[in-house]
Amino acid sequence: MSSQVDPITRAVVQHRLSAIVAEMGEAMLRTSYSQILNSSRDFSLAICDTQARLIAQADHIPVHVGALPWATRAVEERIHDVQPGDVILMNDPYHGGSHLPDVTAFVPVFDAGKRLFWTIVRAHQSDIGGATHGAYNPMATEIYQEGLRIPPMKLYEAGRLREDVLDMIALNIRNPRDFRGDLAAMVGAAHLGERRLSKLFTELDAATVTQAIEDILDASERQTRAIVSSWKDGVFHGEALLDDDGHGRNDIRIVARVTKRGSDIEVDLTGSDPQTTSFVNSSHANMQAAVAMAFAYLIDPDIPKNSGALRPLKVAAKQGTIVWADPGLPVTLCTSHPSNEIVEAIIKAMSGSCPGRVMGGWGRRFRIAIQGENPRTGRGFIWHMFHARPGGGASAGGDGWSSIGEWHTVGGIKFGSVEIAEVRFPLHFARHEFRTDSGGKGEHRGGLGVDLDLVVETAKPARANTAGDGARHGACGILGGEDGLPHDYRLISHGKAERVLKTKEVGIAISPGDVLQVRSGGGGGWGDHARRSAEAQARDLEQGLVSSTASETD
Amino acid sequence: MASFTIGIDVGGTFTDLVVIDGHGETTFAKSPSTPQDQSIGVLAGLDELARRLKLSRTEMLERTQRIVHGATVATNALLERKGAKVALLTTEGHRDVLEMREGLKDNRYDLRSPPPEPLVPRQLRLAVRERLRADGSVMTPLDDTSLDAAIATIRQSGATSVAICFLHAYRNPAHERAAEQRLRRALPDIFISRSSDVLPQIKEFERVSTTVVNAYVGPAVHRYLTSLERRLSETGFAGSLFVILSHGGMAPVEEAARLAAATVLSGPAGGVAGARRSAALLGVPNLIPFDMGGTSTDISLIAGGEAQLSAERGLAGERIALRSLDIASIGAGGGSIARVDTAGAFQVGPESAGAVPGPACYGNGGTLATVTDANLLLGYLDAENFLGGKRKLDHAASERAVDRVAGALKLSRDDTAAGIFRLINMKMADGIRLMTLRRGVDPRRFTLLSFGGAAGLHAVEVARELEIPRVIVPTVASVLSAWGMLATDLRYEASRTHIGERVTMDDAAMRTIFGDLESHATARLRAWFDGPVRIERSAEMRYGEQIFEIDVPLDVLDWNAPDLVARIHDEFHRRHEELYTYASRDQEVVFVNARAAAVGAVGSTATALTEVPDAAKANAKGMRRAWFGGWRETPVFDIAALPPGAAVTGPAILEAETTTVVVNVGDQMRVNGLGWLDIELAK
Repeated sequence: MSSQVDPITRAVVQHRLSAIVAEMGEAMLRTSYSQILNSSRDFSLAICDTQARLIAQADHIPVHVGALPWATRAVEERIHDVQPGDVILMNDPYHGGSHLPDVTAFVPVFDAGKRLFWTIVRAHQSDIGGATHGAYNPMATEIYQEGLRIPPMKLYEAGRLREDVLDMIALNIRNPRDFRGDLAAMVGAAHLGERRLSKLFTELDAATVTQAIEDILDASERQTRAIVSSWKDGVFHGEALLDDDGHGRNDIRIVARVTKRGSDIEVDLTGSDPQTTSFVNSSHANMQAAVAMAFAYLIDPDIPKNSGALRPLKVAAKQGTIVWADPGLPVTLCTSHPSNEIVEAIIKAMSGSCPGRVMGGWGRRFRIAIQGENPRTGRGFIWHMFHARPGGGASAGGDGWSSIGEWHTVGGIKFGSVEIAEVRFPLHFARHEFRTDSGGKGEHRGGLGVDLDLVVETAKPARANTAGDGARHGACGILGGEDGLPHDYRLISHGKAERVLKTKEVGIAISPGDVLQVRSGGGGGWGDHARRSAEAQARDLEQGLVSSTASETD
Repeated sequence: MASFTIGIDVGGTFTDLVVIDGHGETTFAKSPSTPQDQSIGVLAGLDELARRLKLSRTEMLERTQRIVHGATVATNALLERKGAKVALLTTEGHRDVLEMREGLKDNRYDLRSPPPEPLVPRQLRLAVRERLRADGSVMTPLDDTSLDAAIATIRQSGATSVAICFLHAYRNPAHERAAEQRLRRALPDIFISRSSDVLPQIKEFERVSTTVVNAYVGPAVHRYLTSLERRLSETGFAGSLFVILSHGGMAPVEEAARLAAATVLSGPAGGVAGARRSAALLGVPNLIPFDMGGTSTDISLIAGGEAQLSAERGLAGERIALRSLDIASIGAGGGSIARVDTAGAFQVGPESAGAVPGPACYGNGGTLATVTDANLLLGYLDAENFLGGKRKLDHAASERAVDRVAGALKLSRDDTAAGIFRLINMKMADGIRLMTLRRGVDPRRFTLLSFGGAAGLHAVEVARELEIPRVIVPTVASVLSAWGMLATDLRYEASRTHIGERVTMDDAAMRTIFGDLESHATARLRAWFDGPVRIERSAEMRYGEQIFEIDVPLDVLDWNAPDLVARIHDEFHRRHEELYTYASRDQEVVFVNARAAAVGAVGSTATALTEVPDAAKANAKGMRRAWFGGWRETPVFDIAALPPGAAVTGPAILEAETTTVVVNVGDQMRVNGLGWLDIELAK
């Protein structure tokens, strides 16, 4: 552990690296084109080295970050003649990617002719071709139905754009202008990072920087190991269930067997159920990312998320299972499901090892998109629901956050203004409020989901698609806490029986005036409800977060 | 008889006062701030100011036309959570907008911190049956029964302030107004904050949050300002008392009390006013004001002589969507603590020793090494002559504190102190770089304007990090905020949302919209001011699918030209390209908010910068050992003794009563015609 770099220089390098990824994020936010990027911030930035180690990342989307070293590894394996000025592009889940909408751009960083780093931008595209708009296709049985596959390939060669390649990609995408705008923003942000890193090499020579980085990774490892070694040793089990695959198979199990010894931790997912025919399979990189995400939630939030911090973590999994699908199978849902279930299985297992650090389950994702004609403009519209966010899990720190999101987004997605939505779309939000009793009971209560009554005010029939999970299984309670209520979405159509919507449906017929009655899931509780303080219970009742006290329902 | 204008800036530690007479003569005073009741410190400061003018307070106030005040009552109420007990009237079915916070949470990896408490708890967010459609038409009429039930709850709860925010009230305020009237009849003494009055703009979270903050701080601001006004008039003041608002303009007391949420940045707004005035005096239109204090550093931008406004701000975790100066605060300053973390990594900040116990060298019980301790050990500060000799610094205490960090790092004391200095400078530089990136400008084309107690020690090195070639230190640096207030304009902002009316937005409609806003804003301003009034027009616009609007200044347009709407769209494309490098001229453009500000310019008696010939060689008052990559005997100059035209080549240390400026090897300092330090960095 001897080092040639003094601690001041190390601090300078560490600070500069996080400033560089922060600047890349700011550039991305300000220059990206589509709403999914500039509003929902569904993008991530990182610096990796040529050994595919994560050196620095900006805290945007947790499920992206652990995946980027795998994407870098695929680039290193496949592209052998990297030159200054190259830009590499990729998205394929069977070549290091997570799912097709997540397109990643890599810019190599050289010093004196030697390639040292990659600056990396990953961004979720609003469309990537394929059978349905936006890639979420519950009916897909092959990846080809999900969109365009891009293996690691050069988009720029020595500074020259390969226009024919870009044209080919853009031609396969439904909104090529958004795509081109977002891609330009991604490449610009990666180049900004490259310039700033190169400047660092002129201030401190590259050998000093690379040695400082070794020290930084070692230091993060020490921090993590110090935390892990304070947890209880043993072998721990946890399980979580996916509702279904949308093709008739229910209760798909994700099984985590966690061995914790000293400062090492091994997560073994090999006992998970076999893969399915639909898009709820996970790609390998996404599975790795989900495990890393669970681990990141258990250690201290301020530890730099780099490969050093993840060194104590080993992952075992088996190809052909739900967490690591065979090549060719669809995987688009994986960044949300089974990512959420992978995290939950691990966290449940770890409740026996570090009870003060685990938290109740965060709500599942249940998307809904409505396509129709706006009678006020006579034009077509597509509306994606980001409202009615589910509740977050409770923890030793207190009750869960309400209306906050899932394990894989944890408060990173902004739902738009109801007023703006009513102006722009033929929709009326009759109600959008916390869903009473939806938070899992516990010493600390899970956060609440949301009641949304949405009236569709089209003049002609419209159609809706769904994609998600969690209508049968709610977010898990932990350490004696209760599960949050699962999602319950219904369609109320005049003159018809009320119908429960499934989480994986296409072409749902909606008549003018129909009401979508959305009840999103709550977060899981933490600890035994019997230990909840009288004050907290009285407050819940006074605020209408619960409809009655436990003693009355028991 | 001379007539005075007085600027008063209440800071965390000191209340600064500046008086200017009819001949442009300025006099400064300082008094300790009194956070429990700020008016005590203000009146004590006025006494000190009068003493310096050799007048009694009454004699001075009788001759004072205008007092401009930067007040931090709202700021403190919000930061310390000591505002009013607020109830909120909301549209039935939508009572949780405030607590949902648009589904956002800041620290992505922290899953063990509970959610923040909203300013209004759920049991006081009271649903009223009523509903407007997006076009402002009534879908469900206001139901008096549900309103009366809510009023009864308010009466029982003991709330002293009420926010009213209904959906789509920006299009049609009728329901909010009716609710306000009924509430006022039932509870005549209650403070009311109505969204269609406070921020008549689309986006319910921003509107409700701003309206609630206004209700939360309003009663305290109203109490403070009316009592201060009364006490001033009791001692002879017959002029006007104005308050600086977060947008950098000023307004009379009744307006500041009505729109109390617009006073949360009143303090730092004074600094920006000072920077703006500096830009005008210097003829340097692009400045980065760098205000470094003990616990935090405020940075902003003056581009083309104007401060930048933003509606994306908040304070203490609460969203305030009123337009305010774009000031970024970095949690680092002279009191930032250096330490070695559990991983053995060296850190400076974000923890701060604050004013109490303060840096180790203050001898107030602080034992941790701070940036100020490093500055003392590096020879930049003089232990015997800190704050003009008012405070002796304990060199040995700094040594002990820094040695502890040095021991953990296995470095020498000197290298550790130099490391603290280097890392804090880097943090400042990175904070500035991120802000300039956000505003789409290149920092290398700007000049750094250094003010605030600690800025002079770091400004030159921060500029070097950013490749900024020039640093200016005004002699009024320590009271720049109060000084800037003397030249602040009156300002009233009006805005309306017009989203979703594309069909009817032809040239004539556009002229009417802005014409109405202008007459409204002018009429409001006219009630306070009879001088010349200028109008500033702007719009918030975006491309169809985007969610962030950008602010598009429209003053360059010829409003009588044909194709007005097309020209406005052109301005939007141009501004978008400027900020974000591209424009999409074939995309749908959405016009969201129209804005007009009425600005009443007050006369400024300040003198402009004149060229001065080189002065005779400047004489150092002494030599001191200081660290510039190694120890060097360094000349120390007394800023007050340097005549205009005096020049010094670094390394050098320049001292004044309230600030110390460090100039590095080869940097050239020259005193300009205002007596300010103008430093050109070595290439």
